[in-house]
Amino acid sequence: MRNRFDEQLALLNQELIKMGSLCEEVIALASSALTKGDSKLAAKVAPLDREIDEKERSIEAICLRLLLQQQPVARDLRQISAALKMVTDMERIGDQAEDIAEIITSLNIRPQAEHTQISEMAKATIKMVTDSVDAYVKQDVKLAESVANYDDVVDDYFNEIKESLIDLIAKNPSNGEYALDLLMIAKYFERIGDHATNIAEWVLFSITGKKKV
Amino acid sequence: MTKRIFRSICFVALGIFLASVTLIMGALYDYFSNVQRGQLKMQTNLAAQAVANEGMEYFEGLDTNSYRITWIGTDGDVLYDSTTDSNEMENHLEREEIKEALSEGFGESSRYSVTLMERALYCAKRLPDGTVLRLSVSQNTLLTLILGMMQPICVIFVLAVILSLVLAYRLSKKILKPLNELNLDEPLKNDCYDELSPLLRRIDIQQRQIKQKSGELKQKQKEFKAVTENMVEGIILLNAKGNVISINRAAKRLFKTDKSCIGQHILSVNRSIEISDLLDKSERGLHAEKMMKLSGCIYQLSISPIISDDELYGAVLLALDVTEKENAEQMRREFTANVSHELKTPLHTIAGSAELLMNGVVKDSDRMDFYTRIHGETQRMIRLVEDIIRLSHLDEDSYDMKSEEIDLYTLADETLKALSSEAKNANVTMSLNGQSTVVQGIPQLLQSIIYNLCDNAIKYNHSGGTVTVTIKNHEDSVAVSVADTGIGISPEHQERIFERFYRVDKSRSKELGGTGLGLSIVKHAAKLHDAELSVNSALNKGTTITVTFPK
Repeated sequence: MRNRFDEQLALLNQELIKMGSLCEEVIALASSALTKGDSKLAAKVAPLDREIDEKERSIEAICLRLLLQQQPVARDLRQISAALKMVTDMERIGDQAEDIAEIITSLNIRPQAEHTQISEMAKATIKMVTDSVDAYVKQDVKLAESVANYDDVVDDYFNEIKESLIDLIAKNPSNGEYALDLLMIAKYFERIGDHATNIAEWVLFSITGKKKV
Repeated sequence: MTKRIFRSICFVALGIFLASVTLIMGALYDYFSNVQRGQLKMQTNLAAQAVANEGMEYFEGLDTNSYRITWIGTDGDVLYDSTTDSNEMENHLEREEIKEALSEGFGESSRYSVTLMERALYCAKRLPDGTVLRLSVSQNTLLTLILGMMQPICVIFVLAVILSLVLAYRLSKKILKPLNELNLDEPLKNDCYDELSPLLRRIDIQQRQIKQKSGELKQKQKEFKAVTENMVEGIILLNAKGNVISINRAAKRLFKTDKSCIGQHILSVNRSIEISDLLDKSERGLHAEKMMKLSGCIYQLSISPIISDDELYGAVLLALDVTEKENAEQMRREFTANVSHELKTPLHTIAGSAELLMNGVVKDSDRMDFYTRIHGETQRMIRLVEDIIRLSHLDEDSYDMKSEEIDLYTLADETLKALSSEAKNANVTMSLNGQSTVVQGIPQLLQSIIYNLCDNAIKYNHSGGTVTVTIKNHEDSVAVSVADTGIGISPEHQERIFERFYRVDKSRSKELGGTGLGLSIVKHAAKLHDAELSVNSALNKGTTITVTFPK
């Protein structure tokens, strides 16, 4: 009985890792589509996002089956419920990456100083997502805590980008639409950072049993 | 085992006890009845004597506690009975012992007395007057005997049980003690029951076999480890679930992990999409390959499922560093693209000029100009093709020209003479320093090194500049340096000038008729001679390229 349970938990673990790596991939793709201004890269995002959605459904199914059939308690219950919550955040990350890709395809990309800022910000968010997934894989409390703190860095990037976009509009009001699109992209990255923080918090919960208020 | 031995000893002891009790009781019973019968006979004789003498008077005052005395008349009527009133008794003539006594003078029998409800022994004797005197005694049955002896039997039984329990316990322990103390590590050193020695010998043989087998296994493992650990390629063995069974040093370095990953799932070591795709394929029993970028290098990952008897046991993941191969591939692709481009440009000029000439739109005075242009471009193409051929020869290392001793000074002198007209056109003065120095080398290649270097030095020089060729004979090397006072090369270009078709300033190079392959040829030729190339250059001041040949 316990053997089978362990097997299913291991399967859940693997699926979560796969979903995490899909999330990393999708953001990296969206970010490099932005820096290279390549709409072909952006077009690759949508199928990946669909894959992420599928993974979410299959992980949910595994979790529910485990809850129903095995009626886990204590740490196992925490792990499964945390997984249920984590996939929601991961799925949102996929959606936001797809939104970014959509803006990029409709956007007439021009090389701008803001791009380097945004790609720096993208790097920071990728690091957050990578770290949060790593924290889950290695069950590393310290790493999970560091992700939550790193969110401030991403927020600072967002503020910087906002200011420089204001300058851009002030210099030439016809840049308005372009600047707003870039702002949206930055906002999406900022949201991805928040989701990564959530994931890290759920990792913390599944290990320690304590949830940040 | 102890229990079993204990139990059997107990049962045997109790069984023997019960059997002996039964036998003894039987024997006793037999003995007692014989004694009783003898006594009864004697008493009957005595009583018969007395009755014959005294008649009825004998019975008066007779104490007949232990016997029942019956006197029966000749007609069978009871004359006297010691226990029952004689008048109420039936005729005894038909009784077995009476019949016997009447006919033979003495009779005996034993039967259940209906009146007394117990087994009785009867003895009868015919008196001289024809009457019969009968004595009877109630006989103890076996049961009464046993019941009578119940108390001592019980005591003995309890004692026997206790004794047999204690003995059984002691004995079973003693029997098993040597078995429990067997030293199985060294089976032959045991001094135990003889019956065990075949078993012990067998154990010894098997132990030795196991030791030998495990030694072989360890050796094999060591060999396997030695091979895999020192491989440049990363190897990871996975089980059917995808958990890491073993990982070699190269793979550990590649995936930035350590021993702790053994037993974990491969995705927790590296969760890249490439690896999870490969894993999916191998789970379906397919062989698969993927390219993957890891820490700046390109790796070819290939996975092979381990299948035996139609069952998947796991997979082998192999990681090959193909960075160099990929880069070479990339360079080859670029080279092909460059060559076709370089060949196309002069062809366009030639085709265009020829077309204009053909259509007769060119004025007679300009014709010469077009011819010259066509000639110039074809010359350039020829040079280009020659350079490409030379390079590909160098590439293939199939330069089977003979290495011979050659004087670099003479070679440089000849080369400078050959280039003198170009130098004159460019208004550049050339000079040669040093002395005659002999090296071992392939003359054609050495010539092309000096030629190309000097040619570049002239081409990329300022008007009125100089080209100085210096040949220095060091202790363990010979250095040929070509210095100019030309336009120089900025540092960021210095690394790349030896690449094929690389040009610092494309427009200028075309104008000067270069092929873009000269320095490539120099680099390859130098490599074939194990010579080192160094560039020392400053923008607008000049460039010095030194080729150092080892002696």
